[in-house]
Amino acid sequence: MALSDAEFTLICRARRKLCDLEEPSLTVARIARESGISYFHFIRRFQAIFGTTPHQYRIDARLREARLQLAAGASVTEACFATGFESVGSFSELFLRRVGVRPVEFRRLARVQVTVPRTLPPAWFPGCLTLMRNLPAEAFRNFRDVATFTRPVGSSQ
Amino acid sequence: MKIKLTSLLVDDQDKALAFYTEVLGFRKKHEIPMGPYRWLTVVSPEDPDGAELSLEPNANPAGREFQHAMFSQKIPVAAFEVDDLDGESARLRKQGVVFVTEPFDAGAVRLAILSDTCGNLVQLYQPKLPTAS
Repeated sequence: MALSDAEFTLICRARRKLCDLEEPSLTVARIARESGISYFHFIRRFQAIFGTTPHQYRIDARLREARLQLAAGASVTEACFATGFESVGSFSELFLRRVGVRPVEFRRLARVQVTVPRTLPPAWFPGCLTLMRNLPAEAFRNFRDVATFTRPVGSSQ
Repeated sequence: MKIKLTSLLVDDQDKALAFYTEVLGFRKKHEIPMGPYRWLTVVSPEDPDGAELSLEPNANPAGREFQHAMFSQKIPVAAFEVDDLDGESARLRKQGVVFVTEPFDAGAVRLAILSDTCGNLVQLYQPKLPTAS
């Protein structure tokens, strides 16, 4: 599937709108309409480019923001409403399904991992995975040993 | 000093593994759990002991911002060499891959740019002259 420059720009702009927390009530249909793309075409295109539907993409973006706010000390209720969710109960269920723990638990875990104020807990917001924890030796085996040990018998060197 | 590892930010490691193996055709090399994430690398089946590509989570807001900006400016963040660009792009298009730039001649290479479904643009290129080896 090929994408024209114009359509690429429209899809990028639509993606930004989907992530915009200032406009939580903006529907996917309206974003598509404002982009001048038909609703179903927009969903299909978006999914082919970003690997997920616009609706799911927006939920992921909101949950990501909620995690940041919880890690920064916001209460579950504050994080829920600030990120465009309308019910703490359904927010909590959704958070549990996607993140693996409930928001209240995430907040507790994240808060105890922050040793320097205003930084993010590295286990939940990793910078570099190799620095984050000790990777086992086999993760680096390929770099050093494989060339030596898997060289076919009888080959030179 | 050797280049044996390079990395790419992805917005979802499951999605990335599926795209980079099932669609592009790389092979999984490592998958080591690390808390909520994984040390996840792929290699080319044509060079399984060569450079590994680490598919790293972009959970860090700085990474996300970088990734969004590069994508919106249509800048590919990785480039892979292919022997037959037009053949590869036809194969990938059949699998639903979106090309933001169709194959075209750019001096010494022929290249195309596709979306990896994980927030990145990736360039495929075919050198016009056979590589010296």
